[in-house]
Amino acid sequence: MSKEDTDFFSPNGKTVLLVEDDGTIAEEIAAELTARGFKVLHEATGNAGLEAALRLEADIMVVDRLLPGLDGLSVIETMRQQGIRMPVLVLSALSAVDDRVTGLKAGGDDYLTKPFAIEELVARIEALLRRPDDTRSTKLHLGPIDMDLIERRVWRDGREIELLPREFRLLEYLMRRPGQVLTRSMLLEDVWQYRFIPRTNLVDVHIGKLRRKIDGPGEEPLIESIRGTGFRLRVPD
Amino acid sequence: MFLTELFRTATFRITLMALAAMAGVMVMQFGLVYAQLEAVESRRSTELLKGEAELLAQMSPEHLEYVIRRRATDDLRLIINSAGLFDSGHALIAGDLRTWPKGLKADGKPHNVEIYPEEGDSYPLRVLAEKLPDGTILVLGRSFHLLSEQKLMLRHTMLVAAIPTFVFALFLGIVLSHRALSRVKEMHEAIDRIMAGDIHERLPAAKERDDLERLAGSVNRMLDRLERLMDDMREVGNDIAHDLRTPLSRMRARLERALSAGAADPAALEAAVGRAVDDLDQCLGIITALLRIAEIENSRRKAGFGQVLLADLVADVFDLYEPIAEMEDKVLVAKEGEAPCFVWGDRHLLIELLANLVDNAIKFTPEGGRITLGSQRINGAASLFVTDTGVGIAPAEREAVLSRFYRSDKSRHVPGSGLGLSLVCAIAHLHEAHVTIETGAEGIGTCFRITFPSAFLQKVEDCT
Repeated sequence: MSKEDTDFFSPNGKTVLLVEDDGTIAEEIAAELTARGFKVLHEATGNAGLEAALRLEADIMVVDRLLPGLDGLSVIETMRQQGIRMPVLVLSALSAVDDRVTGLKAGGDDYLTKPFAIEELVARIEALLRRPDDTRSTKLHLGPIDMDLIERRVWRDGREIELLPREFRLLEYLMRRPGQVLTRSMLLEDVWQYRFIPRTNLVDVHIGKLRRKIDGPGEEPLIESIRGTGFRLRVPD
Repeated sequence: MFLTELFRTATFRITLMALAAMAGVMVMQFGLVYAQLEAVESRRSTELLKGEAELLAQMSPEHLEYVIRRRATDDLRLIINSAGLFDSGHALIAGDLRTWPKGLKADGKPHNVEIYPEEGDSYPLRVLAEKLPDGTILVLGRSFHLLSEQKLMLRHTMLVAAIPTFVFALFLGIVLSHRALSRVKEMHEAIDRIMAGDIHERLPAAKERDDLERLAGSVNRMLDRLERLMDDMREVGNDIAHDLRTPLSRMRARLERALSAGAADPAALEAAVGRAVDDLDQCLGIITALLRIAEIENSRRKAGFGQVLLADLVADVFDLYEPIAEMEDKVLVAKEGEAPCFVWGDRHLLIELLANLVDNAIKFTPEGGRITLGSQRINGAASLFVTDTGVGIAPAEREAVLSRFYRSDKSRHVPGSGLGLSLVCAIAHLHEAHVTIETGAEGIGTCFRITFPSAFLQKVEDCT
């Protein structure tokens, strides 16, 4: 991966609390996050993780589901009972059907099953730190694109673009997260509410179709591909 | 030790029960004969006593007295064992009955009375007293001696007959249970060998003539089935190992080459690492799919179940796959069923099922081909179907296709974990639905059909 692909998000020294008992994985994650400008606090047990969370030093917590002592879900539950709203990403080696559901019910904000690509983790941490702009406004505007959410219409530089409902949904999701790297599985999960779909290049095909519609001949491409990771809607200068 | 084992066999217990029954029947039979003997003797003595009394009563008193006196040396003694002529005051006139038997009534009917002779023990006697016209009383008695002799003989006979019978039956029981025991022992040994790992061993079942052999036959058939399953599992294991080894060895070769090229070509190194990650992803994909199948197969939880409209699933999966079919120059068509089909199920799992079928169909359909998906109600049962115009599956191959890792020779070149259909089967099974493979429309290609049980449909209709 080339360097210019990675410096899209400036963490501004945000602190990630990593609660993970597997030393090797923790080391890898910490190294990668530090390289990208995050500060990392690592704890190896649930109890230590909970204490660190209660000290309010971190901006986001990444917690393994299975931990020695207090398990991941109890850490989150206790933390939430104390009124701490810090976003939490749950890591798990389990992939049971309702495992994700219990993880989210306990107060997790996102759930990632091991093994995962480190880019996937970074993209999700970023997404959690930058909660999407879910304002009630019925119109979205980004660079040359205007979107009317009531009439379900889209214009680029005043030229109306005909989109299928699924393409409109996809573009709306991108418009709400400008400049943010979105992985294929995030798109599948959030736009289509699917998990475990046999091919991930499905998303590429959908993005390709959307691209051909919104980028006219000679116009600047708006959706960038991030190699090995996913896509990003370019924020105009 | 051996004997206790012998006594604990079912055969021996049955022998003992038969023996007890036999003894019971024997006792009953002897009892009947006994009773019969007594009745016959009683009737006979009554007749004899009455007949004799009648005969004697017709004699003149002098002659009668003479006969009674002489009777002591007469043949008559054998029939009438005691006799006496008494006057009306119960005093003896003549005969060997010294005293008037206690409690005897002179009514001409036989009575059983106890006689107390002047010396010796008392003994029972069947006695008849007849009043004669001259006022004297004739008393005739017959002892039970004969009867008791007959009874004694009967008892002896019974013992003589019973003892060898019982001994013989016991012997037979021991022999039979010994045989049964040795057969069971053979089976035990066979089972021990099987448990020790010799899965090809079978129980001795011969021609399945009796219950034990039939049972052994059933166990053998069960073992055959288990052995087949184990073979299947071993095959699946081999297939997994093979499917994992291919990308791993490819990756190893690539990384080794990149390593030897070293820092001379950083771009090549980066490319090699990138491809290695892709290979690893393929391996992980296989493992994830396997775990997921196992998880769905073992899942008895239906927490995520609810009412699902099949047409919605069809629309969603169509929406997701239409662009990819278009990109690959194939036509994807969604067909509306005429009646709405609701089923009771897990929406996410059913989407996964349908997506896998459509994914497969797209993979195996040549360019310009057509894939149709839809829902249908057939004979009241809701069903999902995916039809393609691909190479088709020979009827003989259809069952094998649904097993894990099956890859038709025609499709070896198509990438994939080979687990998609296994996943489809696992999800269908969780929904108690059937997966069937038919020939596609107009005899071309394949049609996969998932038929849901009508009970689920009923459940949904009850809820609405």
